[in-house]
Amino acid sequence: MIVELFYRRQALILGTLSMIGLLVFWQIAVDAGLINPFFISTPSQVWTEFLVQFEDGQVAANVGATLYCFVWSMGLATVVGIVLGMLAGWFRDVESALEPFIWFKYSAPTVAFYPLFIAWLGYGTPTIIAIAFLFALTPIYANTLSGIKNIDRDLAKAARSFGAKPLDIFLQVALPGSVPVMMAGLRLGVGRALTGVVVAELFGANAGLGYAITYYGQLMQTTKMMVSIVIVILLGVILTQILSFLESKTDSWRVDSGR
Amino acid sequence: MAQIEIRDLGIDYRKPKSNEVFSAVDNVELSIEKGEFVTIVGSSGCGKSTLLMAVAGLVNLSRGSIKIDGKQVTGPGPDRAVVFQEASLLPWRSVRGNVKFGLEMQRWNGGDLNERAMQMIRLVGLSRFSDYHPHQLSGGMRQRVNIARALAVDPDVLLMDEPFGALDAQTREIMGTELLRIWERHKKTALFVTHDIDEAIFLADKIVVMGRNPGHIKEVIKVDLPRPRDEAILDSDDFHSLRKRLRAHLAEDMSSMQLVKEVA
Amino acid sequence: MADMTAETTATRQVSFSALRPSREAVVGTLAVLAFLVLWQIAPSMGWVNGRFTSRPTEVFFAAIDVFRKDDFLFHARISLTEFVAGFALAIIVSIPLGVLLGTSKIARYLIDPPLMALYIAPTLVLLPIMVIWLGIDMAPKIAVVFLGAVFPIVLNTMAGMSEADPRFLRMARSFGATKLDIFMRVLVPGSLPALLTGIRLAVGRAVLGVIVGELFVSQAGIGYQINLYGSAMRIDRLLVYVLIVSAFGYTLTILVRSVENRIRDWRSK
Repeated sequence: MIVELFYRRQALILGTLSMIGLLVFWQIAVDAGLINPFFISTPSQVWTEFLVQFEDGQVAANVGATLYCFVWSMGLATVVGIVLGMLAGWFRDVESALEPFIWFKYSAPTVAFYPLFIAWLGYGTPTIIAIAFLFALTPIYANTLSGIKNIDRDLAKAARSFGAKPLDIFLQVALPGSVPVMMAGLRLGVGRALTGVVVAELFGANAGLGYAITYYGQLMQTTKMMVSIVIVILLGVILTQILSFLESKTDSWRVDSGR
Repeated sequence: MAQIEIRDLGIDYRKPKSNEVFSAVDNVELSIEKGEFVTIVGSSGCGKSTLLMAVAGLVNLSRGSIKIDGKQVTGPGPDRAVVFQEASLLPWRSVRGNVKFGLEMQRWNGGDLNERAMQMIRLVGLSRFSDYHPHQLSGGMRQRVNIARALAVDPDVLLMDEPFGALDAQTREIMGTELLRIWERHKKTALFVTHDIDEAIFLADKIVVMGRNPGHIKEVIKVDLPRPRDEAILDSDDFHSLRKRLRAHLAEDMSSMQLVKEVA
Repeated sequence: MADMTAETTATRQVSFSALRPSREAVVGTLAVLAFLVLWQIAPSMGWVNGRFTSRPTEVFFAAIDVFRKDDFLFHARISLTEFVAGFALAIIVSIPLGVLLGTSKIARYLIDPPLMALYIAPTLVLLPIMVIWLGIDMAPKIAVVFLGAVFPIVLNTMAGMSEADPRFLRMARSFGATKLDIFMRVLVPGSLPALLTGIRLAVGRAVLGVIVGELFVSQAGIGYQINLYGSAMRIDRLLVYVLIVSAFGYTLTILVRSVENRIRDWRSK
């Protein structure tokens, strides 16, 4: 019975074990003097420091600031990415016209525009939102575009045979059919928006997790810095998991789900 | 003694989620003589492919035994070769590379691999396409490669798992005639799984009709149509009466399936 | 998929033989031209402050200056070294790891959670800690490039191996293939396209890693120059360097993609 349970939950059990093992190894390696704690701190110190930062409100303030920028940039990227993606997916000329800019955006290091954005938008939040917006835009746009473009031709033909107009086909066939692909784009976008926010905060901010990481980094206070690094990693996992969950909910809309 | 002896064969599967055990094949008794062409026919889910895979040594037996030339089957062996349904050709290898694959795996030492492969490719009529890759070939051509790959290792028994299942009706007929032409040369023992009644009759010396829940043999029918055969045989009276008999079997299976559906 | 490839090759051939550019190319070029013209006249029309936006012509002359007088080659060599070292390291580590994870279920279950967490999480946040560990020279940038590139390659190699078509495996077994045979002749060639996809995705992350690393703290390199001209508000020169980085990333991505497409052609149904 226990053995059977083990096999069924193998992935979960082994995964949890390896995470715990990693933490224990980290703690022991430092305690045994194999690694200088100055470089990496220890799980117990990070936990204690987390409680301190939680008590004095630092955690809430930093997470709040980061999430504020995240929500704004993700929201903007979702609206702009989906609208542009739908236009480009439906009208070929729009796609052709946008193509060079998208390619430039894809291969250019977005962060390099940081000084420009500061000049245009000012220091702090607006610049952070702008950079994270650009980070998140590409996958959302690209997935919406391909979702609309790769509309099921048989379904479209069937719809047309019932007298559907192009707008009907767009609303009834192309749009619902591309929801799962769009959701995948949003999932990728979430990770990139978070990266954008935190990276932009590394360079210039008054608050936020990235700001805390740079701030304590410059003071060489590893433990305090690790608190924010761990929170960023956890945030990334949680946000992506939420989107994966939503994505799986729309999976049955896939036209080829029967395969 | 027959070349292939299947005794009291049973194969059980465990459903991965519910851990429920169900029987794919049960109580199968079958003897196949050397050089015989046997087709196995039945509706989907009757365990005909499972039976074939068991003879190939790719499926573990739960009960009973399979013997070939008196030797117990415990796994794949050089005495057997399988022709699979479509999509078993390696896409990164050319036609020749694919035909050589089996030879390489069996460490063939009967001379030059390339020569052997080309010989087989000529046999199935694809000499001009030996450097093509699978995606450049039609479905029928791909199945010719599949047959060449199996014949190349010179097996005693040729096992075919619905090899023409994905082809259109015309190509399927041509491939059937072509398969018989190739088979007439060496008269290797052949076991051929299909759900197509005409195909089953056209190819066979002996037809094994299978039923479902669990997969079992309903009847073994001898086919006495003269060889070599061609399409003309499809219109003969003997062929018609065999077809009628097989249809009755399959229809019975279908109606029992509907009954199950209604009850559920 | 197959239809699409066939279609694009067909159109490409047609447009070559007729020597007439496709509609897409015309529309794309027009859009870029319109953008450039707008950008050029916007400051003079008083729509934007030219100091903050520069002009295409200024960028063009700045490019000539950069290539002629600026220590362009010196900085480019440093950034390129960081990129190549980090990327090579990533390839050396990630391919064996991906193979291990793709062929052993236990290893996959054990390493998957921390791996996924690091793949999803912005690895660039580790930059400040890399600086503490490795100083401010090339080492932390190499580390960040490595961290950016390693996960996409590991995960794609793993997927390519573990998602091998079961029909191929069964076919190989039917011919008596050994485990090593199956690995060498089915899994390795079968996962090559996935590996290349991983490398292509890694290129973008690695380029970003070099630049972010140098922007964060450095004494030389392309990112250093970008930072320098950014704080001096020399937008024209800043854009020149950004364009150079874009061109580099673009070229490399296109290169990997073309190899990938050629290999993928084998598998198109």
